[in-house]
Amino acid sequence: MNKVWLIAVREFVATVFTKAFIIGLLIFPTILAVMAVVGPRLFGDMDYSVKGQLAVIDPAGVVLPQLKVALAEGRSETNVSELIERARSGDAENAAASVLQSFTDLTLVERPPDADVEREKAWLNVEEPGAPHLALVVVHTDAVEPKAGESRLGSYDLYIPSGQDNRVEIAVQGALREAIIGARMGARGLDRDAVSGLVTVARVRSISVSAEGERGTVGGFNFVVPAAFMFLLFMGVMGAGQGMLTTTIEEKSSRVIEVLLSAISPMQLMGGKLIGHMGISLLAMSLYIGLGLVTLASFSLFGLLDLSLLLYLFIFFLIAFFTIGSLMMAAGAAVNDMREAQQFMMPLSIFLMLPWILWMPISRNPDSTLAVVSSFLPPLNTFAMLLRLASTSPPPAWQVWLSIAIGVAGVVATVWFSAKVFRIGLLMFGKPPDFKTLVKWARAA
Amino acid sequence: MALQENNAAIDLRGVTKTFGELKAVEHLDLTIPRGALYGFIGPNGAGKTTSIRMIMSILMPDAGELRVLGHASALEAKDRIGYLPEERGVYRKMKVAAYLSYIARLKGVAEKGLRERVLSLIERIGLGGVDGKRCEELSKGMSQKIQFLAAIIHEPDLLILDEPFSGLDPVSTRLLREQIVAEHRRGATVLFSTHVMPQAEEICDHVVMVHRGKKVLDDPVDSILRRYDARALRFEPLDASANVGAVTALPEVERCSPVDGGYEVALREGADIGRAMQQVIAAVPVARIEIKRPRLEDVFVQIADDGGRSALDREGRPALVTGTRATVTP
Repeated sequence: MNKVWLIAVREFVATVFTKAFIIGLLIFPTILAVMAVVGPRLFGDMDYSVKGQLAVIDPAGVVLPQLKVALAEGRSETNVSELIERARSGDAENAAASVLQSFTDLTLVERPPDADVEREKAWLNVEEPGAPHLALVVVHTDAVEPKAGESRLGSYDLYIPSGQDNRVEIAVQGALREAIIGARMGARGLDRDAVSGLVTVARVRSISVSAEGERGTVGGFNFVVPAAFMFLLFMGVMGAGQGMLTTTIEEKSSRVIEVLLSAISPMQLMGGKLIGHMGISLLAMSLYIGLGLVTLASFSLFGLLDLSLLLYLFIFFLIAFFTIGSLMMAAGAAVNDMREAQQFMMPLSIFLMLPWILWMPISRNPDSTLAVVSSFLPPLNTFAMLLRLASTSPPPAWQVWLSIAIGVAGVVATVWFSAKVFRIGLLMFGKPPDFKTLVKWARAA
Repeated sequence: MALQENNAAIDLRGVTKTFGELKAVEHLDLTIPRGALYGFIGPNGAGKTTSIRMIMSILMPDAGELRVLGHASALEAKDRIGYLPEERGVYRKMKVAAYLSYIARLKGVAEKGLRERVLSLIERIGLGGVDGKRCEELSKGMSQKIQFLAAIIHEPDLLILDEPFSGLDPVSTRLLREQIVAEHRRGATVLFSTHVMPQAEEICDHVVMVHRGKKVLDDPVDSILRRYDARALRFEPLDASANVGAVTALPEVERCSPVDGGYEVALREGADIGRAMQQVIAAVPVARIEIKRPRLEDVFVQIADDGGRSALDREGRPALVTGTRATVTP
């Protein structure tokens, strides 16, 4: 055990006290922080404005005045809190249109009601520095009043130059929508503001009630938590697995392996590496969990997290770690370099993508057949069960313990197989084995 | 017959290892007494490394039995064995002293006093000051010396070295040879494989040769050389311009050819070497005449050329070979 511990400590120290590890560990929270601060400025539309000319043919002449009003309002200062309130109230489409209009500087070019549409289209491709020709709108004659004998209302045709930014189209459509609705209401003698008031019901913030008391529900929390736990599990398992694969290949290719095997048995080496890399993963996970808990505490949301999830995370991490980690180490022992390792990594990686694919279906429907079946298929069960535990509808206890039992059985099987392959593969050089050979090794050892 | 516990450092009986169709080692019997210094020789692919790996329990034999330092497996005595593999390496990013300390700890050396021991060994091998360097910064020769230190750092009872001199310059070779001899003097049993016959001849008490997986020679070096059927003389004429034609004409002589400022006389089969020497002296006044000493390299080359076919006697014991003829050991 002492030798296993020595190996574990060396693996831990050799990885943790490197710049690559420290940078790798800090890079994710740093990216998150940077994205939170810089992202909106970097990727937002703050500096973007739709500026140019909009040609309109309105045969009935009833939409054009409303359009002028809509565009004039669009240029005015927009009340941001009002927009947010409108978005919350479900009127997101209008809110978005308003936001866009606030950055819109469209100059209306009125065309005669009987203008030749084909000739007007050519106008779109005429270059005019400082005042680009953005769009041509042909309002239908029945956009405000239906044709005789029909109940359905028309709308408009929109022509734009090819290759144009889609935000222009969104802005024009927003303005046209406002104008046509205004014209229709005006034609029927309705007060636009009164109607808007009647059809708007503000969305309220729910109150979460628990035995401990009640508090305002945090939107998205129940959606984010399962994802966060799955990310932690994935990061812990894959980070360690990759580390074990790399170090095993390095020890094999640098030929230090035979020196080690003169002092220790392959099983001691494998055990030491597993423990060392488990420590590395637990350190990384603890750091992220700590950061997460501090963040929750700083927003007074600490109480929302069910702390028993951390215990389950630890249990399922151990199961997934020993399953995937031992397989990765066997792959590392079987090959001569990283390039050769890809043949084994590819199917493993595809398999490990499954939790990400199944994340949404399982989170949304934690009691579905897919979710239940996934909870019992190792090594997918660790991810699936953790998602279900963190969901709004946790599974019954017997399912959790059955999943853990199946996971432990899976660990025994994969560690047994991996140990056999590891022992033989370490001293095998030359042509890398195929899966058939690996099975043969496992039987022979 | 099951192996009995005895005083041997290494005891192998009928050990066999097969890789697919290839019989790497076939029915190998080998006994190395404690305190001996054995050379393990043989051409490439003869089965030396496989045999050593089985002794080290890195590979398991398909058949046969072995005992190492009185244990049924080297695994039970790993801390008492020093091993320098043929394919060797170091942790490239580790510092030299840290690497040696790590290997020493794996070999069961206590942490107390280890640092001093590591530094003293590094000094002893002429690499003082490299303890703080990363292993990747060392030259190949330096790295090889460090790897040798890793094999002896725990003062093993049994030292197994697989091709320890490969890739070393003459100065480093001499230094390493001295270290091996020093380990032997300390009391360690030493087994080392090599292609370099003069070194085996110079260092070893005893030589074991394997060829195509089978043992073809297992004798003390002195015995091999003594029993080697030397059928050649070397002489230097007193007068460098002397006519040596008379030597060629002697009935015992097959041919006489100039070698290194003198002459080498090949004798006919069955020739009496003492009489031939007298005849040569009578034919040409000589400044110096000697029986050409047999060299281990000659034995090695001959057995290898012969494919080892004729190297065992009727009882299956190793025999000595000269030319294409085996001389059966009595």
